Amino acid sequence: MNRIVFFVIASACAAAVVALAQPAPASAGWCWPSCSNYGYLGQSTSTNNGCWYSSGEVCSYYGYWFNVGIAKTCYPGCDWNYNTQGVVLYGFENQERIRGHFTVKAATVYVRPSELYMSGAVRAQVTWYGGPASQLNAAAIG
Amino acid sequence: MNRKLTLTLAGLLFGAAVIGGTLVTQLGASRDDAALSNRGMPGMAIHGLRMKSARITTGNVLAVRQGRALYRLNRVGAESCFGVGPANELGTPGSVVCPRGGFPRAGEPVLDFSVYEGTRHDLREFSLVRVEGIAADGVAAVEFFRPNGQIALSVPVVDNIYSTSSVPAGPIAGLAAVDKAGKRLWRSP
Repeated sequence: MNRIVFFVIASACAAAVVALAQPAPASAGWCWPSCSNYGYLGQSTSTNNGCWYSSGEVCSYYGYWFNVGIAKTCYPGCDWNYNTQGVVLYGFENQERIRGHFTVKAATVYVRPSELYMSGAVRAQVTWYGGPASQLNAAAIG
Repeated sequence: MNRKLTLTLAGLLFGAAVIGGTLVTQLGASRDDAALSNRGMPGMAIHGLRMKSARITTGNVLAVRQGRALYRLNRVGAESCFGVGPANELGTPGSVVCPRGGFPRAGEPVLDFSVYEGTRHDLREFSLVRVEGIAADGVAAVEFFRPNGQIALSVPVVDNIYSTSSVPAGPIAGLAAVDKAGKRLWRSP
């Protein structure tokens, strides 16, 4: 009986941690892999919707986005400073260029298109750059 | 579970905790003396951050450089976030990082907000568009290097801030923090 109670409490805590760590989309938006789960972004990951790179990238449809955010976990492991070995670029892209900030951190980060000197209709993107796959949740709000 | 097994497991857990604690202390992870002397300007209201998971209402401008404002952003009951944004819209950071474990840390003296750009579909090759970020005390400059390791750009750190919009063309593969003697303190990736 005690073990069952412990299991239920542990499961609830784990679910709460996952829910709180994710960047919550505000209104109309785009999420990857969904708005309530983490996915693995590696060298061969693709959303198959015409992103800048045919693989190793996930991107939204074209829109007038307010910002894009990612919540990256420690998968497959973090050092003492919460850095992973998986390097990703997060930001936006259009027909001419792809722009963003790099991160290896297990952290929550956000950026607006204007910060990257981009405007008009753009795609929100998260791109694998190097290292092992990153476990993350991405969301863009419009 | 019988009492003997429970006691054995409890003993093992206690032993692991003691060994783990000793290792952490010996490795210096628990004595993180990295600091950011720049406390910034008086607190101000922060607007326009539609971030449910990181509620931020106040912050401090650490510096205004090159038409850009760099912020420490306050969260209730959590470590600070940091951000950057246009200086002509003070209080509206457009790029925000909320590092786990706080910033700075002894092994993490730089929080980089530089913007990178790629223009080729067949290569993951990125060049700099703008350089800016926040560095811990003791970091004298931030260097950006080419894929072959050659230094492409060195930006001085003044009052914990580095910033320039004058950037070289060509691919960049990483960055490093150096002290005033030129010794490399940290690099990424």
